[in-house]
Amino acid sequence: MARRYDSRTTIFSPEGRLFQVEYAMEAISHAGTVLAVLSKEGIAMAAEKKVTGKLLDLSLAPGGEKMGGEGTEAWMGGGGEKIFLLNNNILAGLAGITSDANSLVNFARNSAQRHLFTYDEDIPVEMLVQRLCDMKQGYTQFGGLRPFGVALLYMGWDPIYGFQLYQSDPSGNYSGWKATCIGSNHSSATSLLKQDYKEDLTLEDAKALCLKVMSKTMDSTKLSSEKLEFATMTLHPTSKQPLSKIYRPSELDGLLRDLELGGTAEDSVGAMEGTGGGGGGNVAIST
Amino acid sequence: MNSVLTQLQPSAPHQNRLEEQDELDRTDAASWGSMAGFGNLDRTGGVQGMSIPRVSDPTSFLDMHTDNMSSNPDAKIKIAHGTTTLAFKFQGGVIVAVDSRATAGSYVASGTVKKVIEINKFLLGTMAGGAADCQYWETYLGMQCRLYELRNKERISVAAASKILSNIVYQYKGMGLSMGTMVCGWDKTGPCIFYVDSDGQRLKGDLFSVGSGSTFAYGVLDQGYRWDLTDEEAQELGRRSIIAAGHRDAYSGNTCNLYHVKENGWDFIGNYDVNELWYEYEGKKKAERESQNAAAAAGASPMAVEP
Amino acid sequence: MECAFGITGKDYVLLCSDMAAGRSIIRMKSDENKIKALGPHLAMAYGGEPGDTNNFAEYVERNMRLYHIRNHYPLLPASASAWIRRTLAESIRSRNPYAVNLLLAGYDTTTSKPHLYWIDYLGTKAVVPYAAHGMGVYVSLSTMDKWWFNDMNKREGVEVLKKCIDEVQKRITVHFNFNCILIDKDGIHNINIDSQDPLAELESESKAASGDIVVDAPNSPLDVGVTA
Repeated sequence: MARRYDSRTTIFSPEGRLFQVEYAMEAISHAGTVLAVLSKEGIAMAAEKKVTGKLLDLSLAPGGEKMGGEGTEAWMGGGGEKIFLLNNNILAGLAGITSDANSLVNFARNSAQRHLFTYDEDIPVEMLVQRLCDMKQGYTQFGGLRPFGVALLYMGWDPIYGFQLYQSDPSGNYSGWKATCIGSNHSSATSLLKQDYKEDLTLEDAKALCLKVMSKTMDSTKLSSEKLEFATMTLHPTSKQPLSKIYRPSELDGLLRDLELGGTAEDSVGAMEGTGGGGGGNVAIST
Repeated sequence: MNSVLTQLQPSAPHQNRLEEQDELDRTDAASWGSMAGFGNLDRTGGVQGMSIPRVSDPTSFLDMHTDNMSSNPDAKIKIAHGTTTLAFKFQGGVIVAVDSRATAGSYVASGTVKKVIEINKFLLGTMAGGAADCQYWETYLGMQCRLYELRNKERISVAAASKILSNIVYQYKGMGLSMGTMVCGWDKTGPCIFYVDSDGQRLKGDLFSVGSGSTFAYGVLDQGYRWDLTDEEAQELGRRSIIAAGHRDAYSGNTCNLYHVKENGWDFIGNYDVNELWYEYEGKKKAERESQNAAAAAGASPMAVEP
Repeated sequence: MECAFGITGKDYVLLCSDMAAGRSIIRMKSDENKIKALGPHLAMAYGGEPGDTNNFAEYVERNMRLYHIRNHYPLLPASASAWIRRTLAESIRSRNPYAVNLLLAGYDTTTSKPHLYWIDYLGTKAVVPYAAHGMGVYVSLSTMDKWWFNDMNKREGVEVLKKCIDEVQKRITVHFNFNCILIDKDGIHNINIDSQDPLAELESESKAASGDIVVDAPNSPLDVGVTA
């Protein structure tokens, strides 16, 4: 019975469900985990990279050792896979179909620049989230289209509401969070976050919490920059303007070593010998 | 879905509607009720109702062929100009008084023009500038006001009616419309006057005078105006001001039409010959002066010199 | 034949405009409000081509309101000025440009700073501490140059404004009536600039309401509301 209503996103099933949208969400729950924690001083985000392997050539891609950093340097960071800078004041972590995600990132960056053009200010965080969600919603309603198989975490700052953390799914729903997670194992990660989250976290606490929960959710016990992306959104100490930072691999390994969660050479080697990019079918397109 | 998408499209650019289409022909359900367009604007923001020259720049085309805005006195089409109209609010309602002369260039085209347009029982519009423009658009306004009544089951306010008119003329700004009109009436807020002109300006006020003779009318009106005039005093002030302007302004005169708007709608008070009245006023003034002098003489002022 | 001023102070901005309206040499009205409230802490004084002025002001007003409704917070002064400037810049390149000059005054509630923008019909925008449009330019810019200083309190600001108005009345052949507002953290307040102490009313009001009075749209330009 359900088959008849499977192929159309725009048609409700007799039970009042939109199967294609639900399938899209299902696709995301197999994707690499992204989690973020909000604190008064800023936001930390960690993302699990799925496409790794000894033969993968990242020397020219964003995410190489030379890529990433603070402020404008962050535009080039993020490993090109999970974490992107959408605008000066907004970072996003994505889980789902990589190519869909790229298209959304492009749309988001366009929207942000258009806002800057019209209003001469960075786009407020929630407004950008709404722009993306309006687009995602449209793909669940108009005929002949497939929904975006992407969920996003957005972390940003604007002068009205300060630091904010949002999450959106393929249906076009979005919500604001103090700490949240998308991708594989998101429910267990969320309960871990719920357990350990405290009001008045410092940014250091938030970073630690992020990586600690990440180490528990990921398959490998030791973390390393090989399978992880990491970013923070803070305020510049003097100018008080938003400052995004996407960690370089060496910086992230340093942080992991400080937290005793990994980041050593052996961990990297171990990861390199893992499944390998493109090997697992879905893994290649789903991050 | 197509219709939904069409509605989401940005409004179509201005289009010339060549084939005149009766408004009632449009049987699209959405053109009725609350989904209907506003004024002469349809739902997409396009202009309906009046066609404009099919040239790339209608503004300069019209400018070239009419003597409007005095930019081209040699133009073949001479638009009827020259008027005195006035309206003011007072304790007893609104007085509307106008002259009746229409001139085209230096030529008196008519001396019996109705410059007060009776939009409906409660609304009057005055006419200054292009006679045709005022007549056409104020009649059209009457239509829109009636449609408003049918849709909303209550009379339109003077504010809303004047806004419809100003929105329409603003659409045609720069294309050569020439109108200076006062929309006068009585609504839930009481007596009300709005001045609307073809620049798109719209002003609310107690007292306005429009037209080439307005300066002369103001001269009498301002000096005699009080809020607590009696009905008779107010009617006389309106009439007297038009006579004064009709006498001084070459482009105004012939007769004066006088209206009084009250709570239950407007009354036509009368039509008065400007010349006759002028000399009547002159006679009265002279007689008064003489009787004053006589009284002064009778008072045996010590300064009086015996003849 | 118009005249508008704007003056910023420590934690407020003053905006003042004449109230004349008419055609060519005839003044048809001397109590027309040419200042429009665009939000809880934003207002503009406008002038220029008759018809365009009100139309453009209403267009801006409705767009600011729409932004407020959509996002639950108003556009900040800086972004509002950018939007208005761009609207005018696009307008002048269109077939039917708006010929409207304006002074935009606002109070930024996020930084607690007053803002004043000088914008003309060409789409020029300048961020200024004090400004004038129209007749006021000729006689009172120098007055403001001389008497304005940084971080003036409200009384000092009103004094400078009074000097400007005084100078216009003295040297410009046209007589003007003036309409004045003050925007501070509490919102937009009407100021009777002709009274002996224009701030007395404001101060007593804020004392009585202990700072939570906000005038959303003071004396709307056209009182056209039809009440049942």
